[in-house]
Amino acid sequence: MNRVYDMVVVGGGPGGYTAALYAARAGLDVVVLEKLSAGGQMALTEMIDNYPGFDEGIDGFELGERMQRGAERFGAQTELAEVLSMDLKAEPKHVVTSEGDFYGRTVVIATGAGPRPLGLPGEQALTGRGVHYCAACDGMRYRGKTVVVVGGGNSAAADALTLSRVAKKVIVVHRRDTLRATKVYHEPLMRAENVEFRWNSRVTDLMGQEKLTAVMVENGSGVRQELACDGLFVSIGRKPSTDLVRGQTELDENGYIVAGESTETSIPGVYAVGDVRTKTVRQVVTAVADGACAVHHAEQYLAEH
Amino acid sequence: MAAVNINEKRFQELMGEGKAVLVDYWAPWCGYCRRIGPAYDKIADQFGGELAVVKVNIDEAMDLARREQIEVIPTLVLYRDGKALASVVAPESKAAIEEFIRNNLN
Repeated sequence: MNRVYDMVVVGGGPGGYTAALYAARAGLDVVVLEKLSAGGQMALTEMIDNYPGFDEGIDGFELGERMQRGAERFGAQTELAEVLSMDLKAEPKHVVTSEGDFYGRTVVIATGAGPRPLGLPGEQALTGRGVHYCAACDGMRYRGKTVVVVGGGNSAAADALTLSRVAKKVIVVHRRDTLRATKVYHEPLMRAENVEFRWNSRVTDLMGQEKLTAVMVENGSGVRQELACDGLFVSIGRKPSTDLVRGQTELDENGYIVAGESTETSIPGVYAVGDVRTKTVRQVVTAVADGACAVHHAEQYLAEH
Repeated sequence: MAAVNINEKRFQELMGEGKAVLVDYWAPWCGYCRRIGPAYDKIADQFGGELAVVKVNIDEAMDLARREQIEVIPTLVLYRDGKALASVVAPESKAAIEEFIRNNLN
């Protein structure tokens, strides 16, 4: 006989572990399925200064581990398992993972979001070998080198600024003729002597076998130019991790799971918390709030089913 | 059981012991290296019988890292009889590390 949990939480970021904490404290039998380690996106943020209660800031990785321990203190379980597929309409709901099958009367989707890739051939193979998605994480290794930043929003501008303090030269490639980033970024970027811009342009090819050596850039008139570089930082927005629920729960045009403040999805007993849900403010504090809401509604659902 | 951090001397000893060796090249300042940590410790538990599962801090073993041509971290390298069989950069899940070991060990 397979064990059936009251709640299976997919993803061990702040939303997932808060759901687990509230569920465990409500006496529910809950397991968190996490593919690597607690914390999700915030685990790569060295200092979080906008999570209240930590007046000197807190390291994102440590905050993730603390949230995990906090939930486990009340009996929540963690499995380091990668989810391969889910049947969310089954009774009980069925989750297939690298570590075997899990069954839950309710499921909380807390899979978060990740950087949006360019979608170019070879991009995946070169990731970590010249292609990066986080300047704060990987920028330091490009001291004195030449890097290309793709994107024009706030995070691209912040990445370009960070890199301009480390690299010899930063080339920003943006598909429009002006930055979309807020004004505070414009002046320091324009003033930085080692930052160049390629407007109305996009990266069309990545060169290099073992390591990135250059990128091909095409401008609005179709002129192509090869730019030799040591690193490429892609900063063109985020992509929700919803491939596993596509075709089951309702998604919006950008791939986010449609769910309001109640976190209820289009499938009864399935809740979406944190960055993966349609919402306007994606922060650690809003993710943890979602976790608490999901358990409130899951308890009602469990009482009625 | 946590994966043990080793120095260059121990690395050379392990290379001569005939057992396959999995090395995680890492550094304390590398965020993604930390994220792999909990999963890598579990790997050490699971595969401890067939493999030596160890870590090398590239800041403390710079010569070794240079000789092994470690350009980015975290890089996991699987060795047998002193030879590198395969490597993987920044695996994204515990399952991905297991798959890497299984695909290259046999």
